[in-house]
Amino acid sequence: MPFGLSRRGTVWIAGLIVAANGFFPAVWILLTSLKTETELIRAPITYLPEAATLDNYATAFTAQPILRFMWNSFVVASLSTALCVLVSALAAYALTRLRLPHRNLIMSVLLAIAMFPLISLMVPLFKVMRELGLLNTYLALILPYAVLSMPVCTLVMASFFQDIPPDLEAAAMVDGCSRVGALFRVIIPLSAPGVFTAAILAFVNAWDEFLLALTMMNRVNMRTLSVGITLYQGEFAFPWPLISAALIIAIVPICILIALFQERVVGGLTQGGVKG
Amino acid sequence: MKTWKILLAAALSTAFAANAMAQQTTLRIFTGGQQRPDVMRKIADEYQKRNPSVKVEVEVGGATSEAQQQYLSTVLTSKDSALDVVLIDVIRPAQWAAQGWAEPLDAYLGADRQKVMGQYLKAYVDANTVGGKVISLPYFADAQFLYYRKDLLEKYKRPVPKTWDEMMETAKVIMDGEKNPSLQGFSTAGAPIEGTVCTYLVPLWGMGSEITKGGKLNLDTPQARQPFQLYGRMKQAGVLPKNIAEIPTDRIRIDMQAGNLIFGMSWGYVWNRLENDADSKVKGKIGVARLPHDQGGQSATCIGGWQVAVSAFSKNKAEAVKLVRYLSSPEVSEMQAVMASHLPVFPSVYKDPDVLKANPWFADALPVVESARARPVSHQYPQVSDAIRSNMNAYLAGTKTTDTALADMKSRLQPIFR
Amino acid sequence: MNTIPAAAADGRRPSGRDLSERALGALLLAPAALLLLVIVVYPIATLFWNSLHGVDNANPAAGEQFVGLKNYLTAFEDSRFWDSSLHTVLYILVTVPGALVVGLGLAMLANMPFRIKWPVRLGLLLPWALPLVFAGLIFRWFFEYNTGVVNDILRRFGVEPLQWLSDPNLAFAAISIAIVWKSSSFMALMLLAGLQTIPKSLYEAAEVDGATKWQQFVEITLPMLSPALFVALIFRTITAIQTFDIPYAMTGGGPGDSTETLAMYIHKTTLDFLDFGYGSALAALMFVLSMAATSGYLKYTRRSSGRSGED
Repeated sequence: MPFGLSRRGTVWIAGLIVAANGFFPAVWILLTSLKTETELIRAPITYLPEAATLDNYATAFTAQPILRFMWNSFVVASLSTALCVLVSALAAYALTRLRLPHRNLIMSVLLAIAMFPLISLMVPLFKVMRELGLLNTYLALILPYAVLSMPVCTLVMASFFQDIPPDLEAAAMVDGCSRVGALFRVIIPLSAPGVFTAAILAFVNAWDEFLLALTMMNRVNMRTLSVGITLYQGEFAFPWPLISAALIIAIVPICILIALFQERVVGGLTQGGVKG
Repeated sequence: MKTWKILLAAALSTAFAANAMAQQTTLRIFTGGQQRPDVMRKIADEYQKRNPSVKVEVEVGGATSEAQQQYLSTVLTSKDSALDVVLIDVIRPAQWAAQGWAEPLDAYLGADRQKVMGQYLKAYVDANTVGGKVISLPYFADAQFLYYRKDLLEKYKRPVPKTWDEMMETAKVIMDGEKNPSLQGFSTAGAPIEGTVCTYLVPLWGMGSEITKGGKLNLDTPQARQPFQLYGRMKQAGVLPKNIAEIPTDRIRIDMQAGNLIFGMSWGYVWNRLENDADSKVKGKIGVARLPHDQGGQSATCIGGWQVAVSAFSKNKAEAVKLVRYLSSPEVSEMQAVMASHLPVFPSVYKDPDVLKANPWFADALPVVESARARPVSHQYPQVSDAIRSNMNAYLAGTKTTDTALADMKSRLQPIFR
Repeated sequence: MNTIPAAAADGRRPSGRDLSERALGALLLAPAALLLLVIVVYPIATLFWNSLHGVDNANPAAGEQFVGLKNYLTAFEDSRFWDSSLHTVLYILVTVPGALVVGLGLAMLANMPFRIKWPVRLGLLLPWALPLVFAGLIFRWFFEYNTGVVNDILRRFGVEPLQWLSDPNLAFAAISIAIVWKSSSFMALMLLAGLQTIPKSLYEAAEVDGATKWQQFVEITLPMLSPALFVALIFRTITAIQTFDIPYAMTGGGPGDSTETLAMYIHKTTLDFLDFGYGSALAALMFVLSMAATSGYLKYTRRSSGRSGED
């Protein structure tokens, strides 16, 4: 090992770097959420809260229906992720493991979709949703979110599907699987990290999205978290401690959820795979 | 499949519910999260009590004026009929008129027009009338004030400054005397935001000049350079914060509240925060005055505040107009003043004893609000605002000189005011 | 795509392997095609149609008129279009490689054999899970002059605090740091997935052959990672072209317009200035920029899919 470090030491340092890089703003928000606004504007700044308070959390829960926002976000993000991953997996399979004409063209079209700034598609998209009568329903966000993440999910999964040896699929088909059966029993389990990555990307994209959520859902009880959190903000004032508390409430459960999901489900799948 | 069934059931049940209440009119008001939707709800409840056939729903949009406009632009460009009454920023009526989003109110006001419009503060009549048509009615007023540290001025035996030079001198004296390194002299909005437009306009107006004259651009005057030079002098004297080009509106309130600012130019909301916030270090130490002006000029200020408009796509325009007239009545102005400390749009309400009991400072506020002026009225106001704020900001950041900032401002405004 | 109806009908007929593959392919692509059709085809068509229209400023009430290519010609003479495009290209040049290097580093570190995986995984996820708008606001606060952490640290080391957000160069640096932090997380997630599929046996064999760590990295890791790497790069580039939220939150484009990106200018033109015609033309030009930037990648996929078509 370089620098004369033991293997355990290297692993520890690596973990610390990754965690520190990811955690520092989150830790900063966490500390801020425990401070009062008075402490926040003081110069020189304080790092640890002088008199930690949970008041901001109490306000975050009472000032806005944040649990409802969270539920909405959860429904929208998980259903759009499921839809997106399913549709993208089928497409990725077709594009990588079947002999299709115009494969590159289809890939290019998919990529091109991702290249249009959402902002300039807003007005027509709103019209579409109104014509379909979907405004203020979960579908008004589920459908566009699934589409917006489709290019990246398809490509991610395609890049994984490509590397699976054809013999494995053939073997499964000899065992009596149909092609689609082989997709679900062989290809997807073998590409678990890719499928999981695609799912995270789709989920987080949906969880974070602001502009569509602001426009398609104008009833308070249909708002999602990213829009809901901005409602704590003032026209002029930006109450950081309160918003920090709301952000912590918003991101912590989702991260824990994803981390657990990864450990249990994907970890299991990968180990069961035919590898190495 | 299940989702579809639930949706279908929901759609059917709302259809039946709507049918059952067919004789009742439902009006939807759109308001920002900041214009006290809770107070709007109480006002709407009062209205429903008096008009049992009307149900008023309050829809709360994004917190900032910008976020609200993003949403409204999408909804109204699609000619959506979901909204009946919309709360709009004072800078927007001209744009709303040009886009055809607001139902002009003249026909509905009829013979009442003179009487109704005559009661408001003059600046609000101007702001809500576009091309001779009444586009919206004022809901509450706002203006920029000079907030100052009464206690420090008394300590150093200085009068409330009338001119910018007096203010700078007073600030210098106090800063030198207090020897507190975090104490700043004067602060105003300097970031590239809407408030920075007023940072430029206030000294310009104070010199008796304007951006336009008879519809034509009027920036080839010596007065047009004045605002840049004024802030340049302040910066040199060390009176402005070093990071003035980063200062957003609320920073002024925060610094004032923490006792780190002698003079601040900001909106009406600041007073209540300084007097009522538990953590305010300046309770009872704050005074409010007209903004200073240059030698030989006179005090000016920007108007702010919010208006109520009837959506041109509303399906209940007649009922919506009735609601708008109620929302823009002295009675509601008084309710807002007492419940939310919103500045009234009627001069008469400033003298109401209940209002003054809740907000003693309104007595000082009235002359300031009366001297307030509307920002340039143009259906392309967002472009006008952008041209002014970005160049003022660049000057304050030191990336442009008076000459380049003014020249760039002119070249961007030229196509708008031909 | 034009084979869909015919192929779907042929779905179960065992008439030659190619045709049934085509049919299956069409069937599998159909859901995606349907979604795209409903959700984006109409809006994108509207975008191009709008870009050929404009409002007569003297008579805005008349609505949008057909103006042909006028909006595009206006753009070519609009210095703000060129400036904001230049800023966008600079952000791409700095933040795409930046995110790649940092993201690859993080992914390699995170791929080490940890006994407890979740803190590391969470560390990778958090930047990605923090909504963009708030990430921008938090970094603005870090770089704030008086109460920012960065200047506080500088002061503690006896260095004069810097005006991060009102100096054009420092603002560019601050924004780039924020973008790299936020997007390296996306990179790392994509690359980590790629790293996990590299069989350990390859490294073990290399170790036996006496290859150094660096040789293993160049000879095994990079080539095995290249599909994931390219997908990650292409999407990072596309999102870099659309850079909006972070500079919007951190500087609002200031000082002046010195940090304004093309996406910010489009946003302003469309939703603030309500000039849908010109805004759409700018968006279409941005699309061209995206196409140019990603054509290299498309060439790569063409090559690699040609290769996989042979086996």
